[in-house]
Amino acid sequence: MSRNVIIGLVLLIAGGFIIYRSFSSDITTYATFGLASQGSRVKVVGTLSKDKPMDYDPEKTHDLFSFHMKDSDGLEKKVVLHKPKPQDFEMSEQIVVTGTMRGDVFDADEILMKCPSKYKNEEIAVKEKKG
Amino acid sequence: MNEISYVGEHLWVGRLGHLSILAAFVAALLSAAAYFMAFRQKENHTTNGWTLIGRYSFYLHSFTLLLLMVLVFYAMYNHMYEYSYVFDHVSADLPLKYILSAFWEGQEGSFMLWMFWHALLGIILIRTERRLEAPVLFVIAAAEGILMSMILGIYMPWGEHEKIGSNPLTLLREVNDAPIFSNADYLSLIKGRGLNPLLQNYWMTIHPPTLFLGFASTIVPFAYAFSGLFKNEHIEWMKKCLPWSLFSAAILGTGILMGSLWAYVALSFGGYWAWDPVENASLVPWITLIAGIHVHLVSKNTGHATRSVYFFYLVSFVLILYSTFLTRSGVLGDTSAHAFTEMGLEWQLIFTMLFFIVVGFGPWIWRFKVTGNKGPEESLASREFWMFIGSMVLLFGSVLITISTSLPVINKIMTYFNPAYEGKVLQDPIAHYNKYQLWIAVFVAALSSVSMFLRYRATNWDVKKRAFIRNIALYAAVAGLMTFLTTFWIRLSEWQFVVLAFAGWFAVAAQLVYIFKVLKGNLRLGYSAIAHLGFGCMLIGILASGLNQKYISSNPFVFRGLFAEEDLKKYVQLIRGRPLWSQGYLITYHSDTLVGRERIYNISFRKTDDSLHVTDEIMLHPNAMYSNDFSKIAAFNPDTKHYIHKDIFTCIVGVPPSVQSAEEARKAEDSLKYTNHLLKTGDTLSVGKYLVTMGNVTNTPVNDEYVKHTHDAGAGVLFTVRDKQTDSIYTAEAALGLEGALLYQYPASFEEAGLRIRIDQQSSNQLFTTEDKIKFQEYTLKTGDSVTIGDTRIVLVGFDRNPKHPHYDSREKDIAVAALLDIKRDTISELAQPVYVIRDNIPMSIKSYSPRTGLHIRFTNIDPARETFSFRVGQEPKEIKTLMAGIANDVPRSDYIILEATIFPGINLFWAGSILMMVALGFASVDRFRHKLA
Repeated sequence: MSRNVIIGLVLLIAGGFIIYRSFSSDITTYATFGLASQGSRVKVVGTLSKDKPMDYDPEKTHDLFSFHMKDSDGLEKKVVLHKPKPQDFEMSEQIVVTGTMRGDVFDADEILMKCPSKYKNEEIAVKEKKG
Repeated sequence: MNEISYVGEHLWVGRLGHLSILAAFVAALLSAAAYFMAFRQKENHTTNGWTLIGRYSFYLHSFTLLLLMVLVFYAMYNHMYEYSYVFDHVSADLPLKYILSAFWEGQEGSFMLWMFWHALLGIILIRTERRLEAPVLFVIAAAEGILMSMILGIYMPWGEHEKIGSNPLTLLREVNDAPIFSNADYLSLIKGRGLNPLLQNYWMTIHPPTLFLGFASTIVPFAYAFSGLFKNEHIEWMKKCLPWSLFSAAILGTGILMGSLWAYVALSFGGYWAWDPVENASLVPWITLIAGIHVHLVSKNTGHATRSVYFFYLVSFVLILYSTFLTRSGVLGDTSAHAFTEMGLEWQLIFTMLFFIVVGFGPWIWRFKVTGNKGPEESLASREFWMFIGSMVLLFGSVLITISTSLPVINKIMTYFNPAYEGKVLQDPIAHYNKYQLWIAVFVAALSSVSMFLRYRATNWDVKKRAFIRNIALYAAVAGLMTFLTTFWIRLSEWQFVVLAFAGWFAVAAQLVYIFKVLKGNLRLGYSAIAHLGFGCMLIGILASGLNQKYISSNPFVFRGLFAEEDLKKYVQLIRGRPLWSQGYLITYHSDTLVGRERIYNISFRKTDDSLHVTDEIMLHPNAMYSNDFSKIAAFNPDTKHYIHKDIFTCIVGVPPSVQSAEEARKAEDSLKYTNHLLKTGDTLSVGKYLVTMGNVTNTPVNDEYVKHTHDAGAGVLFTVRDKQTDSIYTAEAALGLEGALLYQYPASFEEAGLRIRIDQQSSNQLFTTEDKIKFQEYTLKTGDSVTIGDTRIVLVGFDRNPKHPHYDSREKDIAVAALLDIKRDTISELAQPVYVIRDNIPMSIKSYSPRTGLHIRFTNIDPARETFSFRVGQEPKEIKTLMAGIANDVPRSDYIILEATIFPGINLFWAGSILMMVALGFASVDRFRHKLA
């Protein structure tokens, strides 16, 4: 038994160390545009500024899409996403972009959108009247 | 407000359903209580009254649950939209074969599916288990009672919004406050939302039932473990439980695997595993179950590690409940692709987990001392020692995954105590998980291989020692050689990957030797070897396909240096008909066709060698799926070419906005500035760099958009566009379609020239001559007769008794005949085929129209006595048609797609390996069941 206890302890210590390392290096907090220092990779949560123009010209640059986003502090920045424009983008309620701040523009290569659920607050679809 | 008496509702379904829910809930609780009383009695409880009550209540529960499911299914099958669950998941256009999928698409349906499996497993255990029936069934019945509460749908007396569970037969008008419900006949006005187009495939039919059977079956080891702890008898249940544990691991593993296969072949996830929280949540209990099976074997053979067996079986089911909590409480929020929407069940789910933690781990702590090892310590050279260590490694891997996956939960708890707490999130989830799980895999592969050659209790170790060491050295040498050879096939960019490849090959080599040398090919004893062999193959497959996936679609000229190379090289833009050379492949997007609600793209990949000879050509057909109402593209589905050594995977990631949605198409069309020009056939006009020439007018337009719809009549005008500089010539037809009183425009589109030409609506009267403007004259002819009208000569040459006319659809009992009329004018020679039909004793004639001569001919009568045939012939006013054509230039292209194409080398090793593992588990389970029965 005593040996198993030792093995257990060794595993526990090794495990604790690995978990600690893994968590300190792989984990980040959601930043804001204001806090995202130049050049470091961060995640920013915000909402789409629907009044500002969205720019996507798939004919010329199919993986370059830009829009304006307001972060949780209300600061608005232009985001350049290096991916094709996601589907249902306009419907997003909340956006999480991952990337780096370059000058006044946020360069993103990853995006996650939270869209309104199809089960909520939706009008009841009414049959089209034929006639 | 007055009570409205609604029309057309089937309220009896809901009433009966509600009754079934209550009955099933109460019966499950009663069964649990009775079984609880039964096993607390000392006497043999198989025949005592409590057991009988428990048993029959469980049957009653199962019956009423089944009745409820039948009712919900009945309501879905008959499209009873008055029920909110039906309304949310079914629609009139949903094919019948997807009703089952729709049934378990939602929370309530999947809970019912889960309970259904529990009930079935419970009944099997009642019929087969004798001595341990009461404690085992107590656990299952309690789980059923708690799960039933999730679909109870009862409001608590203390608050309007405090609700327990959600009843699948809730009326739509009870949960929705829309003004439409003031209409008593609202049912005739609404239509269901239907099943998400992404889920309309056979995967959705087979994946959930398998996965839920896997979920449900983990309760059996839990229940047996509970019975052992409670009765303080630690041998008997282990014998009975082993086949169940193997069964559960096989089914749960298959369910997970189906999910990843689905993600890979049918969804646009671009891979088979993404470390998504939902995937992790079902993988972790599977790993702990596997660990449990290993210590179970140790305990069965040596009596050691009994406490761990209990721990793993108990924790597996608790982790299943935790995964349910993660996916259904909404806590994952935006971090997962497939979490359910919130249903307000968080606290109920937390209660469920706590309940089973107490029921399971309470007795575990109570029996902590008794379940400890009693004999001497395991020898370092014994099989059980290394199996135990292997299980601990698996546990460690599970803990790592669980902690990372639980970040959203940890955030929520921290925010509860400190509202200013900033939520933590994984920077790069996939890299994070891979980094640590790689080592778990290495250890597991090594331990599983080495321990196979050791014996329980290290029997005869001194004799076997030398052979053992020699063998291990040999496998290591083989694995080293194979790893070296592997580097010629896939690039092992870091030393960790070399270690993983080595571990994989080591497992493969050792297990193959074990199967053929030790077992002499007797597979009945070798399920473990087969499973471990599968694990080794899987590792190499993961390494090859994950590490060395290569994007064929690459666009190396853009954004270099901004991001990691591989991120940029994922997508490529393809213009229809224009081949693109990329990564050794000539990729061409040829065409697309609309089949049902899917637009299928035809894309060819031609592999060329250095001298540009085509060495291999494949066609792939990824598709775009339209939403149920056709208004936009809802999803893209990939297509994959499978080779033995690699897969070529393609998926469309984007299409032009005007193809993407009807609204965008309208916007795009509205934004064009058409300038009108009056043109005749043969006229040429200069537009910028191009010369536009108007060609002939036809009444059978060739236009992609036109042919998608049905029309009463159509007219097409051919246009030719010539590039002044390059002399390239493009042709396309602009069309007008007439349906009833509605006129539809279909512009001709010249993608290369950026031109769009449409026929202005004011020209429609030039193209569609109304009958009243034509003067008809009647002619009566015999076969062979001819008639001359002006410069046109018409001969009646014969008849066709099976007429084919674009405006004639034949029906049974029709008497129909077409006259064959030879028409000659100047150089024109045509055959007109007007049709004479008698349908239901009413004669009709279907006109033939020849746009070149402007002749309209009707076949109006047949006189059988005189063998004469009457025709009415009319000539259109013979003026040269001058049409108003609108021309827009600088039109954005709409003939391209954005494509992702990936090569996954060695992916079949992954599938083969993982399937091998499940098959071995399955066979081992069947074998143990047989063994038990014999």
